[in-house]
Amino acid sequence: MDFTLNDEQRMFAETAQTLFADTCTPDHWRKQMETGEARDDARWQAIVETGFTLLLLPEAVGGLGLTELDFALIAEQAGYVALPEPLVESAGVAAPMLASLAPDHEALSDPSATIAIQHPSNPFVLDADLAAAILLHKDGEAYLATPDQVTLTREQSIDPFRRLFRVDWDPAKATALGKVDWDLALDRAALFCAAQGLGLAQRAVDMAVSYAQERQQFGKAIGTYQAVKHHLASAQVAIEFARPVVVAAAADIGNCDVQARARVSHAKLVALEAAEKAARASIQVHGAMGYSWEVDVHLFLKRALALTQNWGTPNFHRSRIATRMFTQPTGPDQTFARETENA
Amino acid sequence: MKLGFSQAEEDFRTECADWLQGQMAGEFADIKGIPGLNDEIERRKEWEQQLAAHKWSCIGWPEEWGGRNATLGQQVIFAEEYARAGAPGRVNHIGVELAGPTILAFGTEEQKARFLPGIAGGTQIWCQGYSEPNAGSDLANVRTKARLDGDEWVVNGQKVWTSLAHYSDWIFVVARSEEGSKGPKGITFLMMDMHTPGIEVRPIRQINGDAEFNETFFEDARCPADSLIGTPGDGWRVAMGLLAFERGVSTLGQQMGFRNELDAIVEAARANGLANDPLVRQRIAKAEIGLRLMRYGALRMLSNTDPSQIDGAALTYKIQWASWRRDLGELAMDVLGQEGEITEGEDYEWSMLPNMFLFSRSDTIYGGTNQIQRNIIAERGLGLPREPRGDR
Repeated sequence: MDFTLNDEQRMFAETAQTLFADTCTPDHWRKQMETGEARDDARWQAIVETGFTLLLLPEAVGGLGLTELDFALIAEQAGYVALPEPLVESAGVAAPMLASLAPDHEALSDPSATIAIQHPSNPFVLDADLAAAILLHKDGEAYLATPDQVTLTREQSIDPFRRLFRVDWDPAKATALGKVDWDLALDRAALFCAAQGLGLAQRAVDMAVSYAQERQQFGKAIGTYQAVKHHLASAQVAIEFARPVVVAAAADIGNCDVQARARVSHAKLVALEAAEKAARASIQVHGAMGYSWEVDVHLFLKRALALTQNWGTPNFHRSRIATRMFTQPTGPDQTFARETENA
Repeated sequence: MKLGFSQAEEDFRTECADWLQGQMAGEFADIKGIPGLNDEIERRKEWEQQLAAHKWSCIGWPEEWGGRNATLGQQVIFAEEYARAGAPGRVNHIGVELAGPTILAFGTEEQKARFLPGIAGGTQIWCQGYSEPNAGSDLANVRTKARLDGDEWVVNGQKVWTSLAHYSDWIFVVARSEEGSKGPKGITFLMMDMHTPGIEVRPIRQINGDAEFNETFFEDARCPADSLIGTPGDGWRVAMGLLAFERGVSTLGQQMGFRNELDAIVEAARANGLANDPLVRQRIAKAEIGLRLMRYGALRMLSNTDPSQIDGAALTYKIQWASWRRDLGELAMDVLGQEGEITEGEDYEWSMLPNMFLFSRSDTIYGGTNQIQRNIIAERGLGLPREPRGDR
């Protein structure tokens, strides 16, 4: 297994980083929260122009045909800015699924269109009202509908930017797409949740580091005090150890077997644990400021919480790891089997 | 050794419980169990006055000032029964638990006569002017200035995180009254009418969407020369005396409220089936262990008649409960799962457990952060050398 990124992957990640750094600043968050607008149109247009929405789609439907690892790098950057738009769920999960079921669907031909997905593991659907199409599930079968063919009830998420909907619908009014691998959608989503978790965690730490360098108490920057800096060091350790797990899960996701699934689950658990740990540390380091709405740290706490509980709860993912342990052969010659194969 | 309470104390418990539950089932049923401190302010003030009318507003105070001279044990019992009955958070807890005891301990007879009846009677709501933008953990770094001009103090500066300032009548202000003084020297402890011209309050929104605390600005705000407690320049001693009330035994009775929260988590786990999940059961059991730990710790402190030993144990209590409740918030959200992500109504309003998760993010910060608590335990409790300060 190779943990290094190639030039193209690095370039995509840097493009995402620059684009988000310019277009998704704290000022942008605040403005968007004030106006309550679902999208920042200029930002979304810039995202579309970079090709991120086409990245995972097969070339046959006009996509770039790149891999989950490539997209995970974008998702990480989306996490770093708590991106309000549903880039990850639409382009990373719903669109590839639709492409596998209905490659000619018109929603796929418009790179700025988003696709929403109702998955058996989630009670709510993200950004359903603005989607060009909504993938729906019933008895293992997939259906497709437009927002005006279903009944949407808005639910307020703990995360001010997550626009959730309860979807009530009638199969007679939707297009049946047949049997589909819902588990693959879940694996992709869980992987990209993990990647976002890395970004969320790093941002929480970075914010706290710069605050601890500026904020003075007892005549010194608070980052001088071990009681403060140790919090941030521990959070960074968690991030550094989560990152390779995410890369390993991305590299292997196509296998869709018990090993690959356990690796995705592992990635989601540790990356979002790192994000929660980092958000907790960041709030603590910011002191009372960290408990105020104005100081943005809460956005990362809340996004981490939402991603932790969606696309499989921590319990669900731990049980998938347990399944690998209890169903696979054990013994010295089996240890870390997949790594040996891929070495 | 005897754990638990005496027969006399149990009788007192019955008396408290009967009265409180009667009120919450009757005249004040409409505010039973309402969260936070920010809504139904007028009803909450009426409730304070009802408590006062029946001598339940400040039971630990001397009888001559409206109290019952209640023992520490009785105060804890009352706090427990208060939480058990679902009585609402007290809008004047700063007046009753901080301002009143400080005036009793350090104030003149004239000041007692002037302020205590309003606090005891539930007609004067108080807030606390301690923290400033540059004086948080380092409280002695306050910059708000108080200058004596004839027979008045003139106050300029800014306080922050002033809980409940937006509906308070009075504030106690820790201000620097000696030009050029540093640290704990040259500070004066003033009591000011919040309706004074020159005092302005701006709410601060919290991460749970509520706005219980504020920025408080003082621009040439004036108060009479005799508004101080203690002597000019000696305010730090008073301020620290007050902090001892805040961090000390006044929180011993809060376990009943915690019990309610843990019970709500157990109920939620039963309702969604997670109560059968071994991992969740382990974590709930761990929370129960932590709660009982605090319970016995509190009982130990109550059964100790030597005040110096009570103080030593009390040093450790804040970090213990704050850390426990922060973890409890995380447990609550893991038990609620995806249901915990969405609000109760369309606005950013939260039911008990998600609100507890969000609010408990502040438990390890306010009233002395965990880091400051550990410093206090190590330096005052264990006698370790003080961490070097940059400026003094």
